[in-house]
Amino acid sequence: MKKKLKVLMIDDHPMIIEGYKNTLLGENQKEYQIKIDIASNCDDAYDKILKSSQSTPYDMLFVDIKLPPSSDGTITSGEDLAKHAKELLPKAKIIILTMHREDHRIHNILKNINPTGFLIKSDLTSSELLLAFNNIVKGKAYYSATVNDHFRKMMTNKFSLDEKNLKILYHLSRGVKTKNLPNYVSLSLSAIEKRKNQIKEMFSIAKADDQKLLEEARKRGFI
Amino acid sequence: MITSFFYRLVIIFLVITLFGCNNTDKVVDEEELKSNLVISHIEEARNTEIPNDERKAILDKAYAICSTLKNSTYKRDKINDISIGYYTIKDYESYKRMNEKSLKLATLISDSLGIAKSYGNLGIYYRTSKIDSAYYFFDKADQIYSKMPGNEYSHGKILIDLGQILRKAKDYSESESVTIEAIEKFVSADNEKYLPICYTNLGILAKFLERYEEAVNYHLKAIEYTIGTKDEVSQTLRSFNNIGTVYKSQKKYDKAKEYYNKALSYKDFLNKRPKRHALLLDNLAYVNFLSNDLLDIPDLFYESLKIRDSIKDRYGIATNTLHLAEYYKSRGEDSISRVYALESSKMSSELQSNEELLKAYQILSDVSDSEKGLEYANRYIKLNDSLIKEERLFRDKFARIKFETDEIAEKNLQISRENEILIIAILGLTALFLLGYIIFRQQQSNKELLFAQTQQEANQEIYRLLLNQQIKLEEGRQLEQQRMSEELHDGVLGRLFGVRLSLDGINQRANDGFTEARNKYIEELKSIEKEIRLISHDLGTESLPSDVAYIDAVESLISDLCDVNKINFEFNNDENIDWEHIDDQKKVNLFRILQESLQNIFKHANAKSIKINFDFIEDKINLTILDDGIGFKSEKVKKGIGLKNITSRVSQMSGVVQFLSNKDSGTVVSVSVPT
Repeated sequence: MKKKLKVLMIDDHPMIIEGYKNTLLGENQKEYQIKIDIASNCDDAYDKILKSSQSTPYDMLFVDIKLPPSSDGTITSGEDLAKHAKELLPKAKIIILTMHREDHRIHNILKNINPTGFLIKSDLTSSELLLAFNNIVKGKAYYSATVNDHFRKMMTNKFSLDEKNLKILYHLSRGVKTKNLPNYVSLSLSAIEKRKNQIKEMFSIAKADDQKLLEEARKRGFI
Repeated sequence: MITSFFYRLVIIFLVITLFGCNNTDKVVDEEELKSNLVISHIEEARNTEIPNDERKAILDKAYAICSTLKNSTYKRDKINDISIGYYTIKDYESYKRMNEKSLKLATLISDSLGIAKSYGNLGIYYRTSKIDSAYYFFDKADQIYSKMPGNEYSHGKILIDLGQILRKAKDYSESESVTIEAIEKFVSADNEKYLPICYTNLGILAKFLERYEEAVNYHLKAIEYTIGTKDEVSQTLRSFNNIGTVYKSQKKYDKAKEYYNKALSYKDFLNKRPKRHALLLDNLAYVNFLSNDLLDIPDLFYESLKIRDSIKDRYGIATNTLHLAEYYKSRGEDSISRVYALESSKMSSELQSNEELLKAYQILSDVSDSEKGLEYANRYIKLNDSLIKEERLFRDKFARIKFETDEIAEKNLQISRENEILIIAILGLTALFLLGYIIFRQQQSNKELLFAQTQQEANQEIYRLLLNQQIKLEEGRQLEQQRMSEELHDGVLGRLFGVRLSLDGINQRANDGFTEARNKYIEELKSIEKEIRLISHDLGTESLPSDVAYIDAVESLISDLCDVNKINFEFNNDENIDWEHIDDQKKVNLFRILQESLQNIFKHANAKSIKINFDFIEDKINLTILDDGIGFKSEKVKKGIGLKNITSRVSQMSGVVQFLSNKDSGTVVSVSVPT
């Protein structure tokens, strides 16, 4: 007898959901009987998660990060949604599928959600999706190569930068000036300066200018 | 008018042809030559050995030359000298004519002294013939001298003349005061030459005013002033005669006789002056007759008459014959008396010597038979009346002349007062106008200042708007880029991914031998996705801070100008410069400086490339503009308007500017401004 799987796919692009479906409903139909629900926004997704938590919970959630926010504004992204889902459906396996491949994003998602699957859309092929799916169904985590890279970088650096430091570096790399950083990172200018100096010390490039800092950060994979 | 103009032209022509290329030095020589000639002629005419008509001819010549001299006080002086020459040769008409000329000239050149002198001389001309005219001229001269201190001697001469005329007009008291004034003038001029005349006049006046003792004293004083001079004898005789006359009037005949005899004792002197001699003899005889001392009467009368006949002293004859008529009348020899009285009356009326005529008529009325006597009595009364009338007339006339001049003086005073008021008014108006003008200028300059200020503000505003515009543009651009980035990232990329995944999924299941081929296209799609993501990333990350706008404006200025002028440029902006927090005035100034410098480079430098740097060093913004043009000599062009503008703008920002250049080694303009 085929194993029953209840899956919620959350993505605002119907074309993408179509793609998931096309991939999963081929081979896997032989082993699993997959029931797929679709949500294209946070409200819809939250409703479905809530409902399932009260009846048959989803076994698996495909979560996109960038989603139209909920109408009450409390849930603004897949990240928020995943947090809720983890509470409501503790057994459900969460697969994050995102276009974002920036290190701090990956870093944050890993830290906040720690999903069973973490796939970067741009890397993703149908066979990889299948592979990930099969792994995850069996309880094994699956990360895209990019995500794995991130892990590796973090390991070799032996230290990790906290979210705010990463943000500082990220915005600096985008060309934002230090004095404008308070607009992007919720810290005072002096706090930001302090953190910048800490980062420089950690990179053992104290007293170097911003350009040097960014070069180093890039080399170490923080950007 | 036209003819005079024509003459002038002819004269000018003659002068030009005669003196051709004479320069001014020669003209001056000409003047000097002429004046020397005039002086020598005047000198020559003084020679008493030459007959009078020759002397006159010389004087005529002198005047002919003198009249061609330039108008000046010198010329006027010479004309006066010539007039004196005429006077000494008794050519009174020429004398008068000369003085009229000098008066005209003096008036023309506003030579007051000359005018006074000429008036005085004209007075002298009239003083024997027409005393009212004489009075007029002397009075005018007196007026002028009164206003010109320092000419006391000349003034005194005029005053004594006036005094004598007034005496003749029987205005004794006025005459006395004028004479005393004359004495004062002579004393203050320290010149006693005319004092005897003054005292003589005072003596005569005192006699008429019946202050006899005083009169004698005056006459004696007159002698005193001549002691030791060549006039001593002459004056002594004159004074003795006068004193005799005083005593005669006092009926002190012995005293009178004493003085007449004293005078007559100067026989040598009198022999040379028969007129005086005759006068003294006649006077002595008359006193003898009056005192009934008839020892040598009438012989003495005849002696005198004989002399007078011989020298044709007609005044003397008139008096002499009158005395004789009186004598014979007293002797009861009426017929002889009548003959002399008739002769006297005839002579007197010819000479218009009215006093004598009156007396003659009186005698005639007594010595003639009743009918004739009545006629003479009538004549006497008529003449007496007319004399009294004339006397009064003279005084009136003098008063009128005096009054008119007073009136003129008053008028002058009034005019001068009016002039003063006018001057004050003009000065006041001028001051007012000046004040107004100054205020106007002040306001104008204030306005200009205000205008400059508003212009500066407007400039700043324009720049702010320009920058704001730039910022808005930038913002719009960024917003649009952001939108495009997101659209690409979330929309296009997502859908593409979906399509690719679907295709991939289907491809996995398909088994038609084309799987590989499709996989290849799927990979291609994947690489397209990657490309789009990169584009999206590039678009999204270009988040420019707002202060970039200023630098954008600067860069667009540079690139626009350089493109137009076809010059290569390199522009570097130090990121550490916090343009957003630098005040607009400074930004505008730096912008302008850059603009000015670029204009200079395009106009003069003939450069191929330019390098412009904004550097931030030690809290200072350093703007360096470097070109590879022909350069200039720093000292030479330092004061050009463009460089001045730059300098003033830099000093406005309390910065430092340097222009470094050498011929053919390009130019560096470096500006350093504190933030």
